[in-house]
Amino acid sequence: MKRYLLYRLVLLVPTLFGVLTLVFLFIHLTPGDPVDIMLGETASAADRQELRQTLGLNQPLAEQYRSFLIRLLRGDLGRSLYERRNVAAMVSERYPATLELALCAMGAALFISFPLAIWSAVRRGSWTDRATLLFSLFGLSMPNFWLGPLVMIIFAIQLGWLPVSGRDGADHLVLPALTLGLGMAALLIRMLRANLLRVMGEDYVQTARAKGLSERSVWLKHTLRNALLSMITIVSLQFGSLLAGSLITETIFSWPGIGRLTMQAIAMRDYPLVQGCVLAISLSYVFVNFLTDLIYQWVDPRITYGN
Amino acid sequence: MPRSKYFLSIGLVLTFSLAACRPTRSDHPPDYLVAAIESYPLQLDPRYATDANGVRIGNLIYNSLLRADPESRLRPELAKSLQLLDDRTYAIDLREDIKFHDGQPLTAADVKFTYESILDPNNRSPKRGNLKLLRAIEQTGPYQLRFHLFTPHSPFIEQLTLGIVPADSPANPAVPTQAPPGSGPFVLQAAEPGEQITLRRNPHYWEREPPLAGIVFRIIPDALVRILEFKKGNIDLMQNDIEPDMLPWLEKNTGADIGAYPGTTFQYIGINLTHPILKNVKVRRALAYAIDRDALVRHILKGTGTVAGGVLSPFNWAYEDNVEHWPYNPERAKQLLDEAGFPDPDGDGPLPRFRLSFKTTNIDLRQRIAEAIKEQLQRVGIELDVRSYEWAAFYSDIKKGSFHLYSLAWVGILDPDILFQIFHSSSFPPAGDNRGHYSNPELDRLLEQGRATSSQQERRLIYARAQKILAQDLPYVPLWWWKNVIVKKPTVQNFTAYPDGEMISLKETRWVANTQ
Repeated sequence: MKRYLLYRLVLLVPTLFGVLTLVFLFIHLTPGDPVDIMLGETASAADRQELRQTLGLNQPLAEQYRSFLIRLLRGDLGRSLYERRNVAAMVSERYPATLELALCAMGAALFISFPLAIWSAVRRGSWTDRATLLFSLFGLSMPNFWLGPLVMIIFAIQLGWLPVSGRDGADHLVLPALTLGLGMAALLIRMLRANLLRVMGEDYVQTARAKGLSERSVWLKHTLRNALLSMITIVSLQFGSLLAGSLITETIFSWPGIGRLTMQAIAMRDYPLVQGCVLAISLSYVFVNFLTDLIYQWVDPRITYGN
Repeated sequence: MPRSKYFLSIGLVLTFSLAACRPTRSDHPPDYLVAAIESYPLQLDPRYATDANGVRIGNLIYNSLLRADPESRLRPELAKSLQLLDDRTYAIDLREDIKFHDGQPLTAADVKFTYESILDPNNRSPKRGNLKLLRAIEQTGPYQLRFHLFTPHSPFIEQLTLGIVPADSPANPAVPTQAPPGSGPFVLQAAEPGEQITLRRNPHYWEREPPLAGIVFRIIPDALVRILEFKKGNIDLMQNDIEPDMLPWLEKNTGADIGAYPGTTFQYIGINLTHPILKNVKVRRALAYAIDRDALVRHILKGTGTVAGGVLSPFNWAYEDNVEHWPYNPERAKQLLDEAGFPDPDGDGPLPRFRLSFKTTNIDLRQRIAEAIKEQLQRVGIELDVRSYEWAAFYSDIKKGSFHLYSLAWVGILDPDILFQIFHSSSFPPAGDNRGHYSNPELDRLLEQGRATSSQQERRLIYARAQKILAQDLPYVPLWWWKNVIVKKPTVQNFTAYPDGEMISLKETRWVANTQ
């Protein structure tokens, strides 16, 4: 295991290097010039040239890339072109909001999906099963830009139970977490239900029943545990994407997270900030993948790494 | 499984508890006014702020030598008097009763410092280029100074609207909260990145103490959510960035006090004059005749615009109304296209006279406007291929001249010298913004004369002539001047709309009753 951990850590370096190189190239090759956006329309060519020079944007791309890498090795992500603030500080300021929302959305998704999927699989073909499938179809088909305002209008405006937007007390978390969680729950219900039904047909489940185990034991110890294994991948992928920040949900709910920051950075071609955000997002993915491997081993001790 | 359920529950409870325990936002007193804005101001320090919200909020914190009034006329603010000693020297006497928020008096040394700080290349101010004609600032007394220019340049006066910071203020403030103190009606109280900016009133403000105890600028990027927050009562004031379609709903469902006031933001269709078809002035005039601006303003803008005849609005002292206008007349448009040598190949049939591309941004309202224009031009036999892009890519294309037609707006026009930058033949990109490559020697001469003339009366005559030429030649098809839409609670009084969207009248705004 230790060898595996070390291997994963070593692998991290080329992965991040590759990601950052690609992002550096993409964002610099995308049409759009931060100096134009910064100075607006009324600035002269000389002003633009001057600012480009002071920001180091007039240097050849290779030179800019070299200085970016040197700074990165020193642990310096640079300063935002617009806000002139340290990128690392800006990213770390926004990350807790995204983490908080991701955890709650994930919690909500698991909380909704697991009981419904199990219920649905146990009572396959019943009206509850059909209702659950219909619910999951609804969840999968609803885009967040529609679902967000819908829950806002119902719960914040009509019923007046919850705040509309912003990040303040715990009540501000409910609607964005629900919006993100519902879509994810819908996917998890479908996947888990299918997995449960597949495992139910396996020989060892029949054997467990033949041994005279109670139905509860068969479900919990044999069926669910095995069905869960493949769910871990789905859940971790979903969680990884949540940690990357949800652009639409964060924008709709005025949630000051990393997704909104990334989008703002891309729209304004704030190169150092885009790099910083992407680095944070990549690290999140790597961390979640790593955690997933550990969970695999915990759920199924037969799995070993590094041998 | 029970164990994992247990961990799950613990995790959930923990997350919610963490959120609940997180210190809630520094609550503002109930008599603070809450205004919703679309994006977080990137900078408040007037030496660096270039984004609209940064400049507008900054203007509540900082004073400047001159300030535009609600009629867009420059009036003295910190300056007691302004005198033109010769065509390249301005002498300014400052008021002597002004103090910064930290109690220090505001003197000529602070003004000199502010301008020199921008001119210092080490400070990397994006406004440095605006001051390139400034040769020196000479302090002639504790409250007296002179601005020396390299050459006569009347539009320089616009640069006197820059906010003044105390001498020795550090350059490159890292966060808005470190913005130096100002001398304006409000003091920066708190800045929470991405969430809100809070200002409190300056009780010692030299004009008079602002009636509002403070202002919270809440950042709500989504237009629909701003409206829902208003409906819920969490927002007291919104200005612009509201979908025109939403206005009737707001009026009916919220009891809001809604007003649309004439503005200076000019929306136009830019034309590529190097294109073989579009370089023909008859075609450009046909385009102008074929677009029903009244219908667009009435149906798509819901009346939040005023049909425009040119770049300069009636607020501008150089505005000339007696120019060629192009009322909707599709028959005349067809006739002009025939005369230009582009007959309709199949009469009312599906074949167009010619095809052009029309570039716009991917904002929903802009796309709807583009589609409506496409339909109107189709009626005279011109086929448009509407292409929408995100802002940075769109702007990059426009600057490169990669377009046939595009739609964009000019914001914050104060001095008519803007015409030099847009239409003078020396202003082809990258030198200026003459993106359509329009060239007219007579206009060039007038625009050169306009910027070198000191007398406003003479300049008015020069620019009147220039506007007439532009209305004839149509390097742009003028569309409309946007109105400033203000949505507020009826209890918010004395908020005056400024043509350029400035929010400086918040210093006079007050509550008429206890609302919160």
